Amino acid sequence: MDLIGLFPTWYEPLIGSGWVIGLIATIHVLFSHTAVGAAILFAVLAYIGVRDDRPELIDFIKKYGLFLLVFSYILGSITGPGIWYSTTVGSPRGISALIHNFVWKWATEWVFFVIEVIGVYMMVYMAGKLDRRTYMKVAIIFGLTSYTTMLAIVGILSFMMMPGRPEQWFAEGGYLYGFYGPNTFAQLAIRTAFMFTMTAVVGGIVAAGLKDAAFKQWLLRRLAIVGGLSAIVGMSLYPWYLGTLPGIAHLVMENRLPDYFTPSILIVLGAMLAYFALTFIRPKIVTATLAGFATLAILVLGLWPGETVRESVRKPYIAGQYLYSNQVIGHDVPGMGVKSEIPALQKAGFTQAHIFWPESQREITRENAPEVGRSLALTACSNCHSLSDTGIRPLKNYFPKQADIEGIKTYLLGALSTGNTMYMPQIPLKEAEAEALAVYIASLNDPDAVSRYRAESQTAQLDHRSDEEDK
Amino acid sequence: MDTAMLYALRDPLGVPAHPVIFLVLAVLTWALHIAAVHVLLGSSALAIRGAFSAQDHWRRLADAMVNTAKVAVSVAIVIGVAPLLFVQVIYDPFWYTSNVLSAWWVIAFIFILIVATLALFIFYAMNYEIRHKKVRAPSAMIIAIIGFLVVGFIMHALSVQTLEPDQWREWYAPNGVIDASGRSIHAFDPWRFGFFILLSFPVIGIWLFGYRRYLQGAGESDAGYLDFLQRLGTRLGAVGGVISLILLTLWMRGLPEDISDFATGIWPIAAAAALIVAVAYPVLLGKRLDRGMWGYTPVLVATVAMIVVATMREAVRWVTLFGVHGYNPLDYKIAMDWYSTGLFFLTFGVLGGTIVAYLLTIAWQAGQTEGTYTPSRAVNLLGTAGVVLLLLWIAQYFGFGLWTAYK
Ligand code: HEC
Ligand code: HEM
Repeated sequence: MDLIGLFPTWYEPLIGSGWVIGLIATIHVLFSHTAVGAAILFAVLAYIGVRDDRPELIDFIKKYGLFLLVFSYILGSITGPGIWYSTTVGSPRGISALIHNFVWKWATEWVFFVIEVIGVYMMVYMAGKLDRRTYMKVAIIFGLTSYTTMLAIVGILSFMMMPGRPEQWFAEGGYLYGFYGPNTFAQLAIRTAFMFTMTAVVGGIVAAGLKDAAFKQWLLRRLAIVGGLSAIVGMSLYPWYLGTLPGIAHLVMENRLPDYFTPSILIVLGAMLAYFALTFIRPKIVTATLAGFATLAILVLGLWPGETVRESVRKPYIAGQYLYSNQVIGHDVPGMGVKSEIPALQKAGFTQAHIFWPESQREITRENAPEVGRSLALTACSNCHSLSDTGIRPLKNYFPKQADIEGIKTYLLGALSTGNTMYMPQIPLKEAEAEALAVYIASLNDPDAVSRYRAESQTAQLDHRSDEEDK
Repeated sequence: MDTAMLYALRDPLGVPAHPVIFLVLAVLTWALHIAAVHVLLGSSALAIRGAFSAQDHWRRLADAMVNTAKVAVSVAIVIGVAPLLFVQVIYDPFWYTSNVLSAWWVIAFIFILIVATLALFIFYAMNYEIRHKKVRAPSAMIIAIIGFLVVGFIMHALSVQTLEPDQWREWYAPNGVIDASGRSIHAFDPWRFGFFILLSFPVIGIWLFGYRRYLQGAGESDAGYLDFLQRLGTRLGAVGGVISLILLTLWMRGLPEDISDFATGIWPIAAAAALIVAVAYPVLLGKRLDRGMWGYTPVLVATVAMIVVATMREAVRWVTLFGVHGYNPLDYKIAMDWYSTGLFFLTFGVLGGTIVAYLLTIAWQAGQTEGTYTPSRAVNLLGTAGVVLLLLWIAQYFGFGLWTAYK
């Protein structure tokens, strides 16, 4: 029997697992970028403090260090594994693909994490205790490791979209071709720019607490310049980034991105520039609250659409352009000895090939068809379509209210089984499976569909029997 | 779940180096993770105990322990990442199934950990002067401790669930109907959990010896406090050690039938012996505790003991998954990748080793110095080497990267 290594499915009916992951990821991106931004800012302040012999700056680092620690490092270091854990349950084979390709890169990043954690405590608690040169050295180590953590992760993020050099990776495999490609560097450039923008906004929260008014003004003006410039640079790098995306991503983008997307990005950019211009002209108005609000606004308005795009543009894949969102391997990767699972599914169907399929549902009968259909929807669709009214792309909304089972079945066999849609994976279904799924889908909009189907089945059986009696 | 199914759940990509490397790293880093967890739980417990005491020594200890807990939580979390990584490289069929089947708890884990950690920091920030003033917001610390215990319990359940592949289908589809909600915890073992949690007492007891030696190095003048630490450390070691041994015995007695031989084999004896040695060692040192670097050695011995305990824990997994279910993590398909394997070990051993040695040396020496601390030339060189290594690392990143991306 051809078994396929599919894991059980987790399905969150209220908002869908996709959103849970997205939410945690967005929070993490905020904290981690903030952490890197704040690390750089603190290293710069330490440098100035030491160079110009300004002990009040060192005191300041000590005082705000706790803020930095709690709000970015601690929360960043919890939500980091948090994304990982949530992806694990939402897409076990997706995370597995990343882990098995890049475990050493992740482990390398972990070394930097350990250094960073020691570094952040030392920056805060050793300020004033270490001599100047030593403190500087700690600051430099801390700043550099913060950046190397980003270097280490960006290729992995990029692999989720596509292998660095797709052709070479598919043919030869290996870490380097998976990790590095034009997309990796485009993403790195944008993220680096964005990191400085984050530094500038978060820096506002920190700078608002400075006592020395002249210095505060000096710092805020510089932050405004850094923030404004990096926002412009980051945005102007976008065409480069888009140019490195695979063709299918462009199709998806043209057809599937929500209409509000482009305007909302432009509004965010405009608002950011306005904010930086304002703080440049009138640094006095910056309070911790205002800067905190600006940070939050960037989170909600800027990061969320960005993460949404990354999520939707790589459809139907979840990693490396070979693993589908619904966990099925959709393409051979000869270089890594990976075989597509589509043929096995075509041959045996989910009901036979899925390791965790309930035994009582391996045979499809008219009686258990709705239940089998639900199992199929959970397994093959729920990663991208919520099965309830709420959540991501509710499945019921994509079928007419009065859809008949036959019609749905025809669609499933005609479009999904054959892989004739752009943004959905090929989902091979045996005829009986398609029927079972159709019964279930029909029942989403019309609860009576099941009883009608069963009644039909009785008539069918009756017909059958009378046929036999006729003989 | 038969053996073929377990193998089918493996990632077809294979692993980029020999699996035994991942196995060893998983055990070693887990030992460090759990040791940090013990320090966290133990110091939190002593902090809250001290916070309610009227005795000056206890209050001083509470102050020190809050600071320890605050660092230990970060260390426990960051070190936990490593076993998390390595476990899913070679045990992916088990780890992913267990996680998905309790997905809701996996997500809850994150939020509970955030709340607990923030609560710990709130307690810390409210009690800068705990030594001399009445404790404020003790409930924050209690919330933190409860939160950490719940988080640990979730970890525990996830680990235990991996050991029962025969139950998985029933858990996923009770009575043949799939329950994809992930809202249930399906298996746990109170004795095993109790053992790993209450080990915190002997561990923190031993930790107090290290703390005592550190104070001596800084020229501590209050001999009474040093005595107090020694007595408390000994008592925690003795009482905690006995409790741990009892729980270990109960855990072993409750092992499933098919591996019950394990309980009478070499591993539990080795673990028990290691624990006994670890708690007895500082007592045996006697006067030598106050001489030279001897005072730090109990912490080293305890670390070795934790590695033995971690190895025993791994042996339980081995006899269960290999012995009973026929899954051998060491025959994972290897897709050898020299570059990333080499890069990790160089980063870990050379870059990481240098920088961590540098940072810990100056942190430790600065803590022992009155006034501003200036490192020796050798230490300075170590730091410079660290910076140079970081720059080299970045250079090789772009070197290999740009070459690969654009050649
Ligand atoms: C990889 C993610 C993914 C999976 C898995 C998936 N879909 Fe889709 N599906 C999409 C996307 C994206 C759209 C387009 C949404 C939009 O236009 O708003 C879509 C649209 C649809 C449509 C609308 C028809 C069309 O061509 O636009 C139907 C019907 C549909 N899906 C059914 C299913 C069924 C049934 C399954 C499971 C057997 C499934 N999908 C699995 C992502 C997926
Ligand atoms: C601070 C709160 C935490 C506590 C109290 C805690 C406690 C524990 C305990 C008791 C175990 C052993 C369970 C058993 O074998 O029965 C364990 C295992 C483990 N923990 Fe933690 N933990 C914490 C945080 C974390 C975090 C944040 C991570 C990840 C980043 C993590 C990763 C792991 C891993 C990977 C295992 C072992 C899994 C295995 O080998 O099967 N822990 N933890």
